[in-house]
Amino acid sequence: MLFNSLEFLLFFPTVFILYWILKNHKQQNIVLLISSYIFYAWWDWRFLSLILFSSFVDYVSGLKIEASNTQTGKKRWLIISLCSNLGLLAIFKYYNFFANSFADLMGTVGWQVNDLTLNIILPVGISFYTFQTLSYTIDIYRGQFKPTKDVISFLTYISFFPQLVAGPIERASNLLPQIERKRTFKKQWFNEGVFQILVGLFRKIVIADNLGTYVDAVYFNPEIHNSSTLVLATFFYAFQIYYDFSGYSDIAIGTAKLLGFKFHQNFNLPYFSKSITEFWRKWHMSLSFWLRDYLYISLGGNRKGIKITYRNLMLTMLLGGLWHGSSWNFVIWGGIHGLALSCEKFIFSFKKNKDFGFLGYIYTFIVVLLSWVFFRAPDLGTSATIIKKILSFDFLMPFIGDFNNVAISVLMLLLGIGFDFYIRLKKVHLEDLGGQLSTVKLVTFATAIIMLLNLFYSTSNNFIYFQF
Amino acid sequence: MDKINLKSTLKLILYILVVTYVVDKVIYFSLNMLSDKILSGQAVGKLNHFITVKDSVDIVTFGNSRTNHHINPQKLSGSGFNMGADARSIAFCATLIKLLPENKEQLVIVNVDSKNVFDPKYSGIDISPLRIRYHRSKVIKREIDRVFSFDPIQNFYWSKGYNGKVLGLFKNYFVPKYDHTTYYGYDPIYVNETQREIFRNFLKNPKRVECKEEYVLSDLYKSYLDEIKAFCTKNNKKLVLITAPFYDDVCKKDNQKMKQVFEEMQFEYYDFSDVFKENNKIEYWKDDVHLSDEGAQLFSEILNKTLVKK
Repeated sequence: MLFNSLEFLLFFPTVFILYWILKNHKQQNIVLLISSYIFYAWWDWRFLSLILFSSFVDYVSGLKIEASNTQTGKKRWLIISLCSNLGLLAIFKYYNFFANSFADLMGTVGWQVNDLTLNIILPVGISFYTFQTLSYTIDIYRGQFKPTKDVISFLTYISFFPQLVAGPIERASNLLPQIERKRTFKKQWFNEGVFQILVGLFRKIVIADNLGTYVDAVYFNPEIHNSSTLVLATFFYAFQIYYDFSGYSDIAIGTAKLLGFKFHQNFNLPYFSKSITEFWRKWHMSLSFWLRDYLYISLGGNRKGIKITYRNLMLTMLLGGLWHGSSWNFVIWGGIHGLALSCEKFIFSFKKNKDFGFLGYIYTFIVVLLSWVFFRAPDLGTSATIIKKILSFDFLMPFIGDFNNVAISVLMLLLGIGFDFYIRLKKVHLEDLGGQLSTVKLVTFATAIIMLLNLFYSTSNNFIYFQF
Repeated sequence: MDKINLKSTLKLILYILVVTYVVDKVIYFSLNMLSDKILSGQAVGKLNHFITVKDSVDIVTFGNSRTNHHINPQKLSGSGFNMGADARSIAFCATLIKLLPENKEQLVIVNVDSKNVFDPKYSGIDISPLRIRYHRSKVIKREIDRVFSFDPIQNFYWSKGYNGKVLGLFKNYFVPKYDHTTYYGYDPIYVNETQREIFRNFLKNPKRVECKEEYVLSDLYKSYLDEIKAFCTKNNKKLVLITAPFYDDVCKKDNQKMKQVFEEMQFEYYDFSDVFKENNKIEYWKDDVHLSDEGAQLFSEILNKTLVKK
C-alpha cells in the first residue's frame, strides 16, 4: 500500500480511530500489528512469512543472547541472527547479482557458465526491516539493550507500518520502549504530524514526481542528448531523489506521530552541506548512523590507525552502496562517497576548521551530483556514456520536451527549495514546525499545500527507495 | 484520547476540510472563468473551441493525431471542425459526439486505427483530458465515472480537474497560441529538411512490423461504437468511420477484419490506408504514420470527394 494512494486514505483513518478508541496500549499494539501486516500484505501477502521468520529468529536470539552466561553462547546466537537475516537478504536481493557477476567473470576467461540466476522477486522493504531487526540483536549482544519478552511488542516493532517498507530505520532503543508503554494523544504532536504528512506529500507527488518525468525521458536515451541536457537531468534527479525520499520519511514520521510515536529525523537539509562528511550527517540519517554504529565501528572505526580508518570508511560506503541495490553502479556510488570521505578525513587532519567554507557547498553538491549519475543510470555502460557526454562540453540549449511539465517542475522545485531555506533561516526542524503554528496558520498552510497537490500533482510512481 | 483533545482535533480537521472546500471552489470557478475565455491550445482551448462551434458546424471529425494532422475541414464541403488530438481514442471521441446537438443534421467522421480497435487491453483511459469538465457536464461525468473508479478526492476538490493545466491556461490566456477565428482544428505539419532526412534514413531501415494472425474487437471499443451509432441515428447525424493513410501499411489482415466487423455492425466505413500507395511521394509524409501538410491537403480532397459529394 502506498502512502499516496486512495487505499491509504481509507486505511489510515480507520486504524487511527480504532487505535485511539482503545485505552490499553497492549490492545493498541494488537491493532498496530494487524494493520501493519495488512499494510504489507496489500503488496504481496506471501512475503509476510519472511517478516515473521526474521521477527521470530531475532525475538528468540535476543532472549537467548541475554540468557547466555558465556560470551561464546552469546556469540553463537548473534551469529544465528546475522546468518538468518543476512542470508535472506543475500538470497532475495543479491543472489542473481553475484550469479551474473560470476558468469561475466568466467566469460572473460573464456569459460561459458550456464544461467545460474533464479526467478526471485525482491520483497519490498527487506533491506530496511533486516537492518532494523539486526540492530536489536547487536545492541543486546553489546549489552546496550535489554530484550523484550512481549512478543506482540517485538513483532510490532519490526513491522510497524509507517516505517516498514522504506524506513526510517528505527533502533529498538528508541521505538521498542515507546511500543511497550502507554501512549497519550497530544494535540501538539497531532498538529506536527498533519503538517509533516502534507509537506511530505507535496515533496513526493508534486516536486519529485514532476521532476521524475523529465529525468526518466532523458535517462531513457542519454545517447541522443547534449551535455546541458544531461547535467540538467542529473540536477533534477538530485532533487527528485531528495524530495522523494525525504517526502516519504516525512509521511512516515508524521503518521507515526499521529499514533503517538516519535521517530528520529531522517533528513536535515542535506544539500546545505559544506562537506561530504556533513552531507552524510544529514542524508538518510537513520541509515548513515546505522552504518557508522554497526559496520564502521565494528570494523574498528578510527581506533586502529589512519590506514585502517581509510579502509573502514571505504568498506562502509561500498557496502552502504550495495545495500541500496544489487548492481555495480551502487557500489561505485558508494565508492565515490567513500573516497570523498577519506580525502576529507586526510585534509581535515591538517585543518582547524572541519569544512571548506562557502566553496564547500559547491564542492559537496558537485560530488553528490556526480555520484547520482551512477545511482540513476541503469547500468555501468549507460553511466559511462552519460559522463562522457557531459565531459564533451556540448553545452547548447537543453532538451525541454514537455514544456508544461518542465515549467511546473521548476516552479515547484523553487517552492520546495524556498521552503527549505525558510526552515534553515528559522532554525527549526520540520518535525516540530506544525506544533509551533497557530490554528489559523496551520489551516492556511494545509489549505495552500492541498491546493498545490490538487493542481500540480504528477501521476504517482512508486517511492524510489521502495526498490531498495 | 480525552474529550478536550478529541474536540480540538476534530475542530482542526473540520476547519481544514471546510476552508479547503471553500478555497477549492473559489479556485475552481475562477479557473472556469479564465478557461472559458481560452480558445487556443491543445489542452483546453481546442475543447472550448469545439464546445463553442459544435452546434453550428456541419461536419466534425474525431480521432487521434492522424485526424488532427490529416484532415483540413476547409477542404470539405460544408463548415467543419477537426477535433482530432494526440493519443485520443474512441472513449474521448464518443463522449464528445454525445455532446453534439440533438436533431441537427451533421456529418460525423471518426478515424479508427486497427492498433486501437483490436487492442485487448483498451481501457478508455484516453478520456482523461475531459476531467477538466467533470463537474460541468453530466455526459462527461457519467463517461469518466464509467472508465475510472470513483475518485472521492475529485468529487470533493473540484479543482483537481485542472491538475497540470494551470500554467498552460495562464500562458494561453495572456499569449494565445494562435488566432482561433481562423482555426478549424487542423494542425498542419510542415516538414523541414532535417525531418525529411530522418524519415529518408528511417525508410532505408524501417522498423519490423509484426502482423498478427487473428484480430478481436475489444468489447469496450465495440460498446462505444454501438453507443455513437445509436446516438447519431437518433439525432439525425451521418456517422462515417475511416482509416487515414499510412506510408506503407504492411499488415492486411487487420484491415480485412475491420472491414468485416464494421460491415456486420452496419457502419459506413472507408479504408484509406493505401490511398497513396500507387502515387506515393516522400513530400506527402512527415513519418510513416503522419502526413505532411501537402499530403494532408491532398487526402482531405480525396476524403471530400468520397464522402461529401457522394
